[in-house]
Amino acid sequence: MIRALSLVTRRQWDRHRLRTGLTMLGIALGVSVIFAVRTANITLLGSLRQTIEKLAGTATLQVIGGESGFPEEVLDLVRSTIGVQIAEPVIEVVAHTAFSDEASLMVIGVDTTGDQELREYQFDESRSEIGDPLVYVAQPDSILISRPFADKHGLKEEDRLPLFTSHGRKEFTIRGIFKPVGIGEVFGGQVAVMDVYSAQFVFDRGRNFDRIDLMTDPEVPIETVERRLRDQLPAGLEVTRPASRGEGIENTVAAMRQGLIITSFIALLVGLFIIFNAFSISVNQRWKEIGVLRALGVEAPNIQRMFLGEAAVIGMLGSLIGVAGGFYIAVGATEVVSGIASAVYGYASTPEPPIFRLDYALEAFAAGTLTSLVAAWLPARAAARLNPALALHNIETRQPEAVLGRPRMLAGLGLILSGLAFIRFSTPRVGLMLQFGYVVLIVLGLIIVLPMLAQWIARALRPVMAWAFGPEGLLAIDTMIKAPRRTSATVGALMIGLMFVFSTGAYIQSYQNLVMRWMDRTINSDLFVTTSEQARSRTYHFSEALSQRIAALPGVKRVENVRFTFVPFAGDTAAVITIEMDGWFDRQHHPVEEGDDRLARELLPKGEGFVIARNFSTRWGTRVGDRLRLESPTGPLERPVIGIIEDYSSEKGSVFMDRELFKTYWRDSAIDFIDINLLPGVDRAAFKSELQRMLAGEQRAFIYTNDEYKRWVMSLIDQFFTLNYMQMVVAIFVAAIGIVNTLIISVSERRREIGVIRAIGGLRGQVRKMVLLEAVAIAIVGLVVGALAGALNTYFLIRTAAVILAGFTIPFHFPATLIIISMPIVVVIALAAAWLPARHAVDLHVAEAIGYE
Amino acid sequence: MPQMVELIDVSRDYGDVDVVHALRHFHLRIEQGERVAIMGPSGSGKSTLLNLVCGLDEPTTGVIKIEGIELSRLDDDARTRLRREKIGMVFQTFNLLSTLNALENVALPLRLNGLGPREAERRGRILLERVGLGSRMAHLPDALSGGERQRTAIARALIFQPPLLLADEPTGNLDSATGDDILHLLDDLHREFETTILLVTHNELAAAYCDRIVRMRDGSVLREERLLKTGAEIEQ
Repeated sequence: MIRALSLVTRRQWDRHRLRTGLTMLGIALGVSVIFAVRTANITLLGSLRQTIEKLAGTATLQVIGGESGFPEEVLDLVRSTIGVQIAEPVIEVVAHTAFSDEASLMVIGVDTTGDQELREYQFDESRSEIGDPLVYVAQPDSILISRPFADKHGLKEEDRLPLFTSHGRKEFTIRGIFKPVGIGEVFGGQVAVMDVYSAQFVFDRGRNFDRIDLMTDPEVPIETVERRLRDQLPAGLEVTRPASRGEGIENTVAAMRQGLIITSFIALLVGLFIIFNAFSISVNQRWKEIGVLRALGVEAPNIQRMFLGEAAVIGMLGSLIGVAGGFYIAVGATEVVSGIASAVYGYASTPEPPIFRLDYALEAFAAGTLTSLVAAWLPARAAARLNPALALHNIETRQPEAVLGRPRMLAGLGLILSGLAFIRFSTPRVGLMLQFGYVVLIVLGLIIVLPMLAQWIARALRPVMAWAFGPEGLLAIDTMIKAPRRTSATVGALMIGLMFVFSTGAYIQSYQNLVMRWMDRTINSDLFVTTSEQARSRTYHFSEALSQRIAALPGVKRVENVRFTFVPFAGDTAAVITIEMDGWFDRQHHPVEEGDDRLARELLPKGEGFVIARNFSTRWGTRVGDRLRLESPTGPLERPVIGIIEDYSSEKGSVFMDRELFKTYWRDSAIDFIDINLLPGVDRAAFKSELQRMLAGEQRAFIYTNDEYKRWVMSLIDQFFTLNYMQMVVAIFVAAIGIVNTLIISVSERRREIGVIRAIGGLRGQVRKMVLLEAVAIAIVGLVVGALAGALNTYFLIRTAAVILAGFTIPFHFPATLIIISMPIVVVIALAAAWLPARHAVDLHVAEAIGYE
Repeated sequence: MPQMVELIDVSRDYGDVDVVHALRHFHLRIEQGERVAIMGPSGSGKSTLLNLVCGLDEPTTGVIKIEGIELSRLDDDARTRLRREKIGMVFQTFNLLSTLNALENVALPLRLNGLGPREAERRGRILLERVGLGSRMAHLPDALSGGERQRTAIARALIFQPPLLLADEPTGNLDSATGDDILHLLDDLHREFETTILLVTHNELAAAYCDRIVRMRDGSVLREERLLKTGAEIEQ
């Protein structure tokens, strides 16, 4: 029986190749996005982990602090711990050469007396191996470079290598070139090694190390040494195995990963609509065939199996194509996520080709196949329940589509209202996955009410279409009204895509507006000098000497030195922003939103309190008056929270403290930003030019005027949202495929109808116009419901996602501008999507279509 | 009498390798106001003939003229306009648009011709009342009986008061009583509008309503019979 039915199916596919292909493409796209984003994510994490592990060499444990590192004394403490065999200090800096391309180079500072026991160095050109530490002690300007870096820049032993350091441009002598194995493989081979104490000086690390790599005694269990170290070291230091450091990174890039998961979900959901639509239409078209099969003795369950079997095969083939395509998409996606990880989070990764994970491929394959089956379930059931006697009648005897009942409407509205109520009244503490369930409720509700909603909107459009486009407009809109299921499936695909676009756009726009307003209020220095053109550099900083030089320039009223870093906090991290608080308060007008502004102005410059960002308070439930404890490398630092301020510097939440207090506890005098305030009457642009001349070729620094700085921050925000923009493009693309598919199906289903129109005098141009107008009408209805769904999802994003992911309270902003801008774009996309179906309609053989023969 | 339809040595072949000769050197002349029934077994070329006359298909050789206009000299749009204004078509399976009600179906050709909805529906209403469907105008085809659907289709075919009506088995999907009603209606309309009718049918009774019967076989005319009295006249 099944074999016989599969013959029927194969013939159907053969007859409707384009439709079958597009249906497959719908699922392939969803699967490819799932597979690509997971592959990109794991490739990035793999690359970051690999960098960590290669840098760790054979170390079994590592001692790490926050980004500021920790004092040298910790090394003695570690070395004296029973069970520690070797302990070596490390400093890691992504520096830049002073060559014309200012190429980045990972500089690793190691203690050359013992490091070869931990890390592998294979020299292919060296007269002074790392084994001879005296070279380093005697010549602190010595450096070893990797072969790929040497080849790229045409360098050889004893050549001079100019680097930008925290103390300006310095020249180093190349003492050896090591092969691209072990440590030489990281950062794409663009790596150099120097003495750790020289690195401390040139990169202004004070007497701090970034990390201690250690090898434990094989006779002592690693867990035991780990425990002993934890007991002895200050709480601000973490003892970890190199492999598990990747987990920390994973937490840091969690927001990015969650964004990727949502994209996959959207793509697959749109794919689900495409398949549902294709199968609904297929069942409608094969009405008679099903009747004949039933009349020939095929049982109802076998009819259902026939359609589900088709769905399974389409799902599997589409998923296979999706996995294959997804792997290629992952190449580009890996570059994007690596770029964001580097630009936004400051992580240096080693470029790697995408990793093919069979388990991910199987999961994506299963997700695609399952989606296909779920989507085909209702149409298959409808086919099985078909009355054979009715089915054997001609096309006009079909039952009206029962998708517009009042109970259905009420059920849908109930789901939407429940979702909104959950969003409004539940706490963020329930977690993102549960919160995500709220938006699923809303989407389900919208899907249920969609046929009726689409019909209402289409009815409202009817007079407009008739007035604007004559009979063709009327026919186009009537076609939509009279086929609510077919219409709503496409509108549904469009709704999901546009919902995502509008809500993401609204969220980004709201966030940008908020940050702009915040910057206008708080960013009031005349000029800013930064260490990186990215959001920040985790490893490269300015020295105080540079700041003093700038302060001494004529026209400068005052400079403030900002250190922006992250410290471990409550199993996660928190941003710490340190600045000379007296100067900062002088420039701010009532910065403290909650708490005592006067007290904050008095206590913070003395190091007797903190102010915290609103999102820090939301994330961690910290209130004014609470005592906040931060773990520094020299011991705990506990101060009262004097006030809460508005701040969007970090989604982790920021703690503000006086610079001197930070320097005391973290032993870190590095500077990330220098805020320059000029005397009245000094021209900003002229001063900037002067400063640029002073620093040219000497110090890698980026100088912005106040306006430029704000624009730069906005461009960084744009960079952070790159993935979201990509997600928006994917959503629109998949929705466009949905429109093409529906219109092709629509034309195919209405073959006879179009034939009749041609037979009674409809011109080719009129038929073309009709199909194009149907696409326009679908687009307009999709835009309206998409705007509604987008508004609901924006509410979800600002009430839950923004609060959970970043603790930000973002005001609701209806994306009216975005919707208006989208209108012509969506209509043009719909018209483009309708081009092929319109051609099919025009080329129809009329006599065949109306069934003469 | 002027000629309404002229087919001069028309042949229509299908296929390149296994050629099917659907029509072979076919000649037919129909005068204005004449009613001609085309009869013949399946595959004799009746439907091909109808497709050629209404310009949905083109002959392999030969000339087809409608009111003296040679179809092969017209492009697709011109042929479509000619079909819209000069030829009404009635199908065995009615071919109403399922999404439009009876009135909208009837008014559709006028609207396709650019007439405003109000005027198009006013004219449609008159015709629907004429075919006895004054109370069923707002019904969708699903809600109409077979006979009502065919009356709607006839009203649509006559909306331009075309000089030529092509009917392809108009009673083929109807019971005999309803079929008789439809034949009477066609007969009445013929008298009223002086329409030329070309009727393709298997039904001898339906053919009896015509002035002439052309019997076909294998794409050629087998014989022609001129009836002295039509079925309706005999009944009277």
